[in-house]
Amino acid sequence: MSPELQMYLAQGIHGLAYGMLLFLVASGLTLIFGMMGILNIAHASFFMLSAYLCVTVLNATGSYWLSLFLAPLGVALLGVLVERFMLRRAQASGLGHIAELLLTLGIALVMAEAIKLTWGTEGLQVMAPRSLAGLVNIGGLEYPIYRLFIIGLSLVVLAVLSLVLYRTRLGTIVRAAVSDPDMVSVLGVNTRRVFMLVFGLGTWMAGVAGVAAAPILTVFPGLADQMGMDAFVVVVVGGFGSLFGALVAALFLGELNAYGIQFIPKLSPVLMFAFMALVLAFKPTGLFGDRE
Amino acid sequence: MKRHLLWLMAALAVLIVFPFIFGPLQTNLMVRFAIEALFAVSLNLLLSFTGLLSFGHALYFGVGAYGAALILTHLEGIPLVLAVLLSGLAAALVGLLLSPLLVRVRATAFTMLTLAFGQLLYVLCSKFREVTGGEDGIMGWTTPPLRLPGVFSLDVTQPLYIYFFALGLSGLGILAMWYFTKTPMGSVMISIRDNQKRVDYLGYQVVLTKAVIFCLSGFFAGLAGAIYAVFNNLVSVGGVLHIMVSFQPLMAILVGGIGTFFGPILGSGLLLMLEEATQAYPELAQMISGLIFIAVVLFLPGGAISFGARLRGWWQKRAYLRKAREIAA
Amino acid sequence: MKISKRLLLLGLIAAALVMASLGAHPALAAGAAAGFDPKAVSDMTGFDPTKYENPSGEVVKIGVLAPFSGDAASVGQLYWATSAWVAADINKRGGIMVDGKKKKIALIKGDTMGKPATTKQAVEKLCLQDKVDVLWGTSGSHLTAIIQAEAAKYNKLHLNSHSLSDNLMEGKSFTPYTFQYIWPTYSVGNTLAKYYASRKERKFYILDQDYVFGHELAESFKAGLKQYVPDAQIVGEDYHPLFNKDFAPYLTKVKASGAEVIFTGDWMPDSSNLIKQSRQMGINTPIAGIFLDDINALIAVGPEGSKGMVFASQMLINYQDGIQAKWHEAWKTWPAPYNTALYEWLGSTTGSYVESLYWLLDVMQRAGATAPDKVIKAWEGDEWLGLIGEKLTMRACDHRVVRDTYVTEFVSPNKWYQDCAYLDQLVTIPAEFVTLAPPKDSERCK
Repeated sequence: MSPELQMYLAQGIHGLAYGMLLFLVASGLTLIFGMMGILNIAHASFFMLSAYLCVTVLNATGSYWLSLFLAPLGVALLGVLVERFMLRRAQASGLGHIAELLLTLGIALVMAEAIKLTWGTEGLQVMAPRSLAGLVNIGGLEYPIYRLFIIGLSLVVLAVLSLVLYRTRLGTIVRAAVSDPDMVSVLGVNTRRVFMLVFGLGTWMAGVAGVAAAPILTVFPGLADQMGMDAFVVVVVGGFGSLFGALVAALFLGELNAYGIQFIPKLSPVLMFAFMALVLAFKPTGLFGDRE
Repeated sequence: MKRHLLWLMAALAVLIVFPFIFGPLQTNLMVRFAIEALFAVSLNLLLSFTGLLSFGHALYFGVGAYGAALILTHLEGIPLVLAVLLSGLAAALVGLLLSPLLVRVRATAFTMLTLAFGQLLYVLCSKFREVTGGEDGIMGWTTPPLRLPGVFSLDVTQPLYIYFFALGLSGLGILAMWYFTKTPMGSVMISIRDNQKRVDYLGYQVVLTKAVIFCLSGFFAGLAGAIYAVFNNLVSVGGVLHIMVSFQPLMAILVGGIGTFFGPILGSGLLLMLEEATQAYPELAQMISGLIFIAVVLFLPGGAISFGARLRGWWQKRAYLRKAREIAA
Repeated sequence: MKISKRLLLLGLIAAALVMASLGAHPALAAGAAAGFDPKAVSDMTGFDPTKYENPSGEVVKIGVLAPFSGDAASVGQLYWATSAWVAADINKRGGIMVDGKKKKIALIKGDTMGKPATTKQAVEKLCLQDKVDVLWGTSGSHLTAIIQAEAAKYNKLHLNSHSLSDNLMEGKSFTPYTFQYIWPTYSVGNTLAKYYASRKERKFYILDQDYVFGHELAESFKAGLKQYVPDAQIVGEDYHPLFNKDFAPYLTKVKASGAEVIFTGDWMPDSSNLIKQSRQMGINTPIAGIFLDDINALIAVGPEGSKGMVFASQMLINYQDGIQAKWHEAWKTWPAPYNTALYEWLGSTTGSYVESLYWLLDVMQRAGATAPDKVIKAWEGDEWLGLIGEKLTMRACDHRVVRDTYVTEFVSPNKWYQDCAYLDQLVTIPAEFVTLAPPKDSERCK
């Protein structure tokens, strides 16, 4: 492979890896919105919290795999509590989206400060586990294994999620509860518990993304702001609530970023928002969304 | 009505003597209050009266602020009031240009579209540093005095005069918006919030009304931005176009009381007081505001403006219960 | 109004000149200042920035303007540890002799939150309510510009130890109340360019943050290369957004360009992410910059990943005795958040902050006053020996410092940190190569 071709191939894989990471962050957000109609501004804060928990578990046990298991679980638990004791009440306030917006914004602020009080304000670093460190040779191109791992991890999460939602009884109930909660609760299903579960699942996915991103990014108090906007754009462009849309949008934006930097670096950060405005101007519900 | 007028006169009197009693520090705080209140009320026109949640209102604020900065930098000798009004008009024009896209959408789609345009302008202004100065922004222009030839010429870089300038403009703007909600078109606006389809069937101009509201709301947000520019003598992308600039008035509306006209003004004041109070404990400032937002949503969804009514209701209930108990006994 | 104030100032300056020539101030009369002796730091055992308390009585008040809340709160923490150190040290010595008596130092926080409007409000509070004597801050040239304008408005001294912009002391922006202690961007670019004149690397890739400072720095580096390394090649030039996430696409371009050095002005977290992601991708091209000393990132990539990086600074402490030893000893007892490797030694950032405040207080003592006009008079043209014995001159006409600068290559092992490469031998770049010329349009500099 010629060096030039290698470079373009590398950019393609970079776009794929970053796109899949974006998808991992955004999927939980779109799941929560699609299933519950909640605009969770604090989503990226759960992502950040998980990265911090990952640092703690790693420092305590030295095991990345254990932190990949524990940190998202801890974050999901917090998510369930937030749904049970706050969001439910906010939804009953009759203020609609704005109540959730302000509530989750408040939660985001409190979480950021609580994180600073617990872990300090400095940038903390996590490295990829030894088994995933280093490079692999793809047809002459040396590529970091960890980035390939992110692609794989996202695919696994996507597969599990699709299976659960579309192939199990639980998934059927969840989807039914979403489209007609009253009917489902008449049938004897505890829809409130279903929503709690969905919110927990969404924050768990943010947690997985947090642990996945920690070895690439710096774990610092601005991590949520750094990642949050991109995740939001993915959800909006893909169409609110559409998992498939989020996947397509994340991959497209990942590639747009990589090849944008390669060919038109001066405009690359503008591209994302220009694309978002363009999509919304023609299709206000996003590429694959059907909810307003 | 007479009592209301009396209250209004009293409030006006307090505002007039305020800068003479308090120092420049408090006077400047009032200027920020005037700016943020005007900004919040302009957004509230969309949120509480048309039922549209915008995540990109900084767009208009930013256009107004940059408009004022650019006009005052490049057009020497332009009268101050004209510069500020032109900046507001520039923001209104942006509202007009975007309205063909914005009128079509509702609910979340509207929110997202405003977010997209707000962010787009933010990154564009960061990029085009030649015009906007990027993160550094535009600063150091000479602000012309506020003058009526032959009558007065006031240096608005002095706390006293910027105070009257900002409060006057902001007050007039808020008054104009209040008046608008009472006009026939204002009634149509409120009906759109309640049931857009029915308004349409009844033969009212939904699209036109919405477009007018976008321009109006944009104009006053731009006006707030222009006052901000004059007051700070500096405009930078981070200060006027950042997403948090869009969130600030939303918080003011909710803290003050959504669905009311005057709630956002109260909310802006409360948020500024909160910021002042936490200055001494900066490490806890965000934690405290976060907790307050959570508390408002959970326990006082009507905002601070509903607090009095709540208290009265609670008191009446207590008195009623006491009476009932007495009767029972 | 303005003219009369200037006249008054001139009169005072003239009066002070007469006093000085009469020998009222021996230090001034002697020409060169005694300077600060880093070995004279008081016994600082037991000093703890979290427990710092302002003294009572008559004090010299320093307003510390920093982001104490929000995403950049770590920066505020640095400001606090360093200013509290200097205040505690001077207070242990009994304060400084000003206005006819010994006065201790008090610190008052002003939270900028990184926002212009808040910064303005914080400065006004410090000036009008707390009545500080000096404003000290802050990161971000747009915020510094506000402080500068406000300081002039309220006749307060302003020491800029943090904002590197070239333009702050030029044209209409200049005010006699502000002193720019920190080196300007021009010096940074030229320091590194001059350094490479005596090295073999010739292929440079510029990867910088896409905002005013990033571009300004790149321009100064390119101009410096043209002058000092005419055969240097810029093999690539990219500007990434602030708080960039994925550096991989940029790094792939760097690799393809055959660059021998990545030049960057990035600060945390961009600098850390750049270091980390490049090493993860197997790209070990040396990185040259001025914010590469984020110790957590260096430790993350280990000795192998961090060696060979080229680090420039206006002030690098390369000894472990004197103030460095006292700082290190005190640090051992500090609780969170100051118990981390970042605070273990006085680094280039913390060292600079500390030095700037010592100089300020030294000047005040020699001026024998806190009044801005007297301090301005004493500081203009002042020659002073800094923390590492280096000579600093406060240029009178534009209030910028003329000084040598330093470059080091990170090596492992080193005497500072076991887990990463760190500074070793210092290369001194003489002041004449890196000093920004006085502004041409300035009346004062003619």
